[in-house]
Amino acid sequence: MAESHGGGCCPPMDLMRSEPMHLVQVIVPMESAHLTVSYLGDLGLVQFKDLNSDKSPFQRTYAAQIKRCGEMARKIRFFKEQMSKAGVTPKETIDKEIDIDLDDVEVKLGELEAELVEINANNDKLQRSYNELVEYKLVLEKAGEFFASAHRNANAQRSEIETEQVDEDLLEAPLLQEEKSVDTTKQVKLGFLTGLVPREKSMVFERILFRATRGNIFIRQSVIEESVVDPNSGEKAEKNVFVVFYSGERAKSKILKICEAFGANRYPFSEDLGKQAQMMTEVSGRLSELKTTIGAGLDHRNILLETIGDKFEQWNFKVRKEKAIYHTLNMLSLDVTKKCLVGEGWSPVFAATEVQDALQRAAVDSNSQVGSIFQVLRTKEMPPTFFRTNKFTTAFQEIVDAYGVAKYQEANPSVFTIVTFPFLFAVMFGDWGHGICLLLATMYLILREKKLSSQKLGDIMEMAFGGRYVIFMMSLFSIYTGLIYNEFFSIPYPLFASSAYECRDVSCSEATTIGLIKTRDTYPFGVDPVWHGTRSELPFLNSLKMKMSILIGVAQMNLGIIMSFFNAKFFKSAVNVWFQFVPQMIFLNCLFGYLSVLIIIKWCTGSQADLYHVMIYMFLSPMDDLGENQLFPNQKIVQLTFLFLALVSVPWMLLPKPFILKKQHEARHQGLSYAHLDETDESLQVETNGGGHGHEEFEFSEIFVHQLIHTIEFVLGAVSNTASYLRLWALSLAHSELSSVFYEKVLLMAWGFNNVFILIIGILVFIFATVGVLLVMETLSAFLHALRLHWVEYQNKFYEGDGYKFAPFTFTLDGNEDE
Amino acid sequence: MGFLITTLIFVVVGIIASLCVRICCNRGPSTNLLHLTLVITATVCCWMMWAIVYIAQMNPLIVPILSETE
Repeated sequence: MAESHGGGCCPPMDLMRSEPMHLVQVIVPMESAHLTVSYLGDLGLVQFKDLNSDKSPFQRTYAAQIKRCGEMARKIRFFKEQMSKAGVTPKETIDKEIDIDLDDVEVKLGELEAELVEINANNDKLQRSYNELVEYKLVLEKAGEFFASAHRNANAQRSEIETEQVDEDLLEAPLLQEEKSVDTTKQVKLGFLTGLVPREKSMVFERILFRATRGNIFIRQSVIEESVVDPNSGEKAEKNVFVVFYSGERAKSKILKICEAFGANRYPFSEDLGKQAQMMTEVSGRLSELKTTIGAGLDHRNILLETIGDKFEQWNFKVRKEKAIYHTLNMLSLDVTKKCLVGEGWSPVFAATEVQDALQRAAVDSNSQVGSIFQVLRTKEMPPTFFRTNKFTTAFQEIVDAYGVAKYQEANPSVFTIVTFPFLFAVMFGDWGHGICLLLATMYLILREKKLSSQKLGDIMEMAFGGRYVIFMMSLFSIYTGLIYNEFFSIPYPLFASSAYECRDVSCSEATTIGLIKTRDTYPFGVDPVWHGTRSELPFLNSLKMKMSILIGVAQMNLGIIMSFFNAKFFKSAVNVWFQFVPQMIFLNCLFGYLSVLIIIKWCTGSQADLYHVMIYMFLSPMDDLGENQLFPNQKIVQLTFLFLALVSVPWMLLPKPFILKKQHEARHQGLSYAHLDETDESLQVETNGGGHGHEEFEFSEIFVHQLIHTIEFVLGAVSNTASYLRLWALSLAHSELSSVFYEKVLLMAWGFNNVFILIIGILVFIFATVGVLLVMETLSAFLHALRLHWVEYQNKFYEGDGYKFAPFTFTLDGNEDE
Repeated sequence: MGFLITTLIFVVVGIIASLCVRICCNRGPSTNLLHLTLVITATVCCWMMWAIVYIAQMNPLIVPILSETE
């Protein structure tokens, strides 16, 4: 379907049109199917069509294998979790030479998973007992302390009691000893419970115990300074050791229930000092044993995880690759009678030999008796769009694709966008100081390209890195336009010659009222440096920049219309040339091209004519005399001619094309032949994309309305798009004003104070303001507006952008799939 | 006169740039054509901007009026 460009005067330009594609059909025997798809995936130049789209995922041939792969992927995810929890990082590089078998991988994964799960369970159990023992030890310590102090007090009390009267209400009295010292007729049997309770619940715990037992308990709590790991939850918690003394069975059961409710762990404690010491040593011994056991368990697990980590990336890649292969295999239709699979896909014409090569290699490697068959199918479907871009042009192509992917083989706007986009950005950004800053930033990205491309960057950095070449071009052009606008952080410099302006007389008395005059030659490169800071700076610059915007805009729109001419020539549509391109050129140039010419004439002659007046009265009263607005002789006649041509071109755009298309359609149908493949006019919606016979519907009214809309859009758009280019002026004004404000009101003011600290603060504020507002915000703003100018004003002259992108089956883009 | 001379300088710079690009990255006729197009477009854009600013200042209707301070 590729037609040669033009007449052979020049070779077809790279990137101008998408690669010619063809629909290929591949018939592979079953035994070499897997290997074939694998090799084609490595090649990455075939986009398979789904021939089984009407089947559900479970009805497809390879559903079982996909489930297998899914299981393996789940195991791999589990390993990854475990590794990240344990802090083990998998080895980054993949040994591509070693080819591993999927079955082996599956078996290995199963084994490892079982082992890992077992180790984890054991670990948890051990950890739990360890924590319990730690708590028990703490209980032993603290309760032991308490009883010891109670014993001491008891001895002290006893000695006191022997000498003094006993105070019955002494709450601090050691209860156990008091029992012995008072009347032995009342034998109150006291029991006690020890345990740990979480600190935040300790007061409530005490209160509830008190209430439940009607105050007939004695509770003693002791704070544990460090936090303890709770055996049940596995988390650290602040706890207190408590000892509760109670009497009676009912009280005991109440206390037990309350302890359970509060999650307080109870531990047995014996009063006997000897037994306490024994328990202590036993517990300490078991603790150290457990610690070593747990340590050994963790070591074992870490070794296991490291062995997993070695092979992790390789297994991961293999499993994902296999899954992708099986998904693709599911797209091929099974030809049961011939024991082979049939696949259809789009592939670029230049890759045909490579694809056949891959097929042959797969057939040989899989030891099949029959080779694969490769043939090209003819179809009327629209192929996908494929541009071969390198790392420089990729970013620009993506910018264009973001608006709409080019239709198959239509002219690619990104060819000129590579230059015009940074140029329009620079017109709005123009400051060579800021341009140098941008250049330094982007040079850093470009020089560390290799390193940064393998790292994982954040979202914003990712975008900035991806667009590094765009920003590079933008900065280069900004330096150029900065030199032209003569702005270095808003300061002008007479770099190329001295200023052209001088005072009228020696005393310079009228400099602030009437102004200077131009005595020397025009400043040779850019804006004269004398303008900055003058009172008439804004009127002059505004006039200059507005007219510049119009001139640039008319130039770019003309380029757009010429691109539509290239399209018309390529698709061999004479209708589009004579009844679309020609009237569009005439209309645009008779009005806005004429305006541009007037601007240039006014500049060259220095006339005082009012161009607004000229243009408006050209329409309102064209027969009137021009008077002082005359810029060149016979202007009135020229204007009348242009007005007439512009008026004529509107019905020229609107009326003939639908009728001609209708005639062509009838001629085609009378001839009973297939339509030419290249009659793809923009407005002709005759051929549906469904392939087959090319059943043509021709709704005349639809075509006519379409053409009407197109004409109105163009005519009205000519005015609005031209005005839209004035944003070049607006943003450039904003940038220079902001820059000038930051310089004068921050830096110069700080300088004026003659104080070092204020100067330093002023410099810091200046730097932050420049980077934040001018280098980041203005860059984004100018980027956005330049983008809009391209997407709307430039591309609506010729671009259709309703294609779809070529998405070949490849393994290299396996980012983070989670199917 | 300054206008014509500088325009000539732009043309010469454009030719030199396209020759440099042809010498340093010569990759087949279609790619060369693309490079040539880009260089020519860049030269034309730059020249256009310079020319507009230059012509606008040749016969000025507004003159600089210095501000009061200084």
